[in-house]
Amino acid sequence: MPPPTADTTPLRTATAGLVPLLVRFRSVLALAVLVLLLSLTTDSFWSEKNLQNVLRQISVNLCLSVGMTLVVLTGGIDLSVGSTLALAGAVTAGLAKSGLRLERINTLIEFTPAGAMLAGVATGLVVGLVNGAAVTAFRLPPFVATLGMLSIARGLTMLWTGGNPIHDLGPAFSFLGNGRLDAVPLLGWVPMLIVVAGTLAAIVAVVAGHTRFGRGLYAVGGNERAANASGLPVAGIKRGAYLWCGALAGVAGVLLTSRLNAATPDAGMGYELDAIAAVVIGGASLGGGRGSIAGTVLGCLLIGVLNIGLVLLDVSPYWQQVIKGLVILAAVAIDRATAGRE
Amino acid sequence: MIRRFAAVVIACVAVGCSQPTPPPRVTAPSAAAGTPKVAVVISTLNNPWFVVLGETAKARAEELGYEATIFDSQNDTAKEASHFENVLAGGYKAILFNATDSDGSIANVRKAKAAGVPVFCIDREINATDAATSQILSDNHGGCVALGQHFVEALDGKGAYVEILGYLGDNNAHNRSKGFHEVVDNYPGLTMVAQQAADFDRAKALEVMETLLQKHGEGLAAVFCGNDAMAMGAYQALAAAGRTDVKVFGFDGADEAVKLIAEKKIAATGMQFPKTMARQAAEYADAWIKGKRDFPQKVPVAVEVVTPENVGEYGDYGAKEDARPATN
Repeated sequence: MPPPTADTTPLRTATAGLVPLLVRFRSVLALAVLVLLLSLTTDSFWSEKNLQNVLRQISVNLCLSVGMTLVVLTGGIDLSVGSTLALAGAVTAGLAKSGLRLERINTLIEFTPAGAMLAGVATGLVVGLVNGAAVTAFRLPPFVATLGMLSIARGLTMLWTGGNPIHDLGPAFSFLGNGRLDAVPLLGWVPMLIVVAGTLAAIVAVVAGHTRFGRGLYAVGGNERAANASGLPVAGIKRGAYLWCGALAGVAGVLLTSRLNAATPDAGMGYELDAIAAVVIGGASLGGGRGSIAGTVLGCLLIGVLNIGLVLLDVSPYWQQVIKGLVILAAVAIDRATAGRE
Repeated sequence: MIRRFAAVVIACVAVGCSQPTPPPRVTAPSAAAGTPKVAVVISTLNNPWFVVLGETAKARAEELGYEATIFDSQNDTAKEASHFENVLAGGYKAILFNATDSDGSIANVRKAKAAGVPVFCIDREINATDAATSQILSDNHGGCVALGQHFVEALDGKGAYVEILGYLGDNNAHNRSKGFHEVVDNYPGLTMVAQQAADFDRAKALEVMETLLQKHGEGLAAVFCGNDAMAMGAYQALAAAGRTDVKVFGFDGADEAVKLIAEKKIAATGMQFPKTMARQAAEYADAWIKGKRDFPQKVPVAVEVVTPENVGEYGDYGAKEDARPATN
């Protein structure tokens, strides 16, 4: 790469300045390379339909991984998001379909689709509340606390559904999952799913980057003792992170249920791993204190494009798993190798 | 209530007959403590099909006068091993068993055999013929051969199709795909343009189908899915893309799929008979406890192809006139 003009700057410094830049924007770069590769090797990547697919298919993971980022920033982890998603989805579907029957007082509370969806998000919120309490009040390691919740929420989902999917939720219910921004000129092709997930990601990005709570997340994850000593409400910040994460998992459950127009009791199994992968690829440190929502969004896009690309390229499903694993390892390896250079 | 008590008494007498010591206890309702127990060990309760399997086995065992408990192995052979240990320590008289793994589960069955507790395998085969007392098996391979034949007819022997596989490495996923291809691969007019996996999962199948439509949508005639959950996901992707001309084939006979076949939205599925198999296993266990010892090692339960033409005969995880015996 020659210097652009007849500048006297030696070549050496130009390239020295380039490396940190490459490292800094490695996710963007990786994504660009992947997109370029797919554009050249398939004729179907750059179609409107396919872009819709990419956006739709990353939406659920976007909600989960954005929430996960907040928890990871504090140095924690939330393994329960996949189960929380299933529980929230099941609650939403159950309430939308048959309402809530209170045997004791012999009444049936009916729910509109929107009401049922709010109840689903509230379910996620409650799970997040419990996770936060377990980590702060009971001082459980986040890994253990949320591992327990992974099992509890899955069990509650089974109890609520009896192991059967809840389906036929009606056309109104599937608007979020399958509708588009038809009413808006020029943006009529945009799936509702990404509108919801993207808006939430933007809100969380503002919260993480521009509020006292957000700065607190980084402080707690960077050095908990120092944060404590400087008078930050460490426990409150942690509880906030788990609360957001739970609520966003609840939203993810509502979105998935709306997309399938059904809630399946085994929904979301292993989704926590995809969410963690997006966070890590996005440059966050699992040790806490480092990471960003923008990075996670990129990580999410990278995984989504990779998932679709591997199918478009007719890669054998056996190899797909190997390749995805390699991408995660490469991302973390680069991260480790360049830590401290930024 | 009275009938139930009577059944308990009869069962107690029966146990007394086959095992002379200790004498039958038919004294008081407290005999409930002495009700013989039967364990129902199921590979997973995450899928309605297996829930039906487990609950039918439990219900039939209870009808026959036993106390029945369901154990969920959560698709984990190690969990299954602990369940077996607990069952053997807990004094259960028989195990109605849906294996997690055809090879991995053999050791568990042998352990039970060594302890003198009979094991009756349901639906999933274990690859040993000297361990289980009897195996009542859904013919996944044969069912998919039949489904493959119907597939060929429905497509008139020509066209492009995609296959969506279940869990890679799962025995049933393998057998279904194998049976299907044994038939379909003989027709050069039928070309498989893509083969992808979606882990028996509805959401994953929806996404895979969406993507496959991008590349292979043009001229696509059909999609064969390794189970009904994936067929439902694939159908949703096709419907959203306005491609209701693509024929969807599933396997299992789930209620939702049967309903969609009646509405001519899904082309066909392979109906397995979980209830028939589960009842048969419970009845075999009852016969064993009452002294019978000669059981056929394998009882294949045929899988039937459900199409819009014959869909009226099916529903509720079996044939409508449920008494119809699929085996004997």
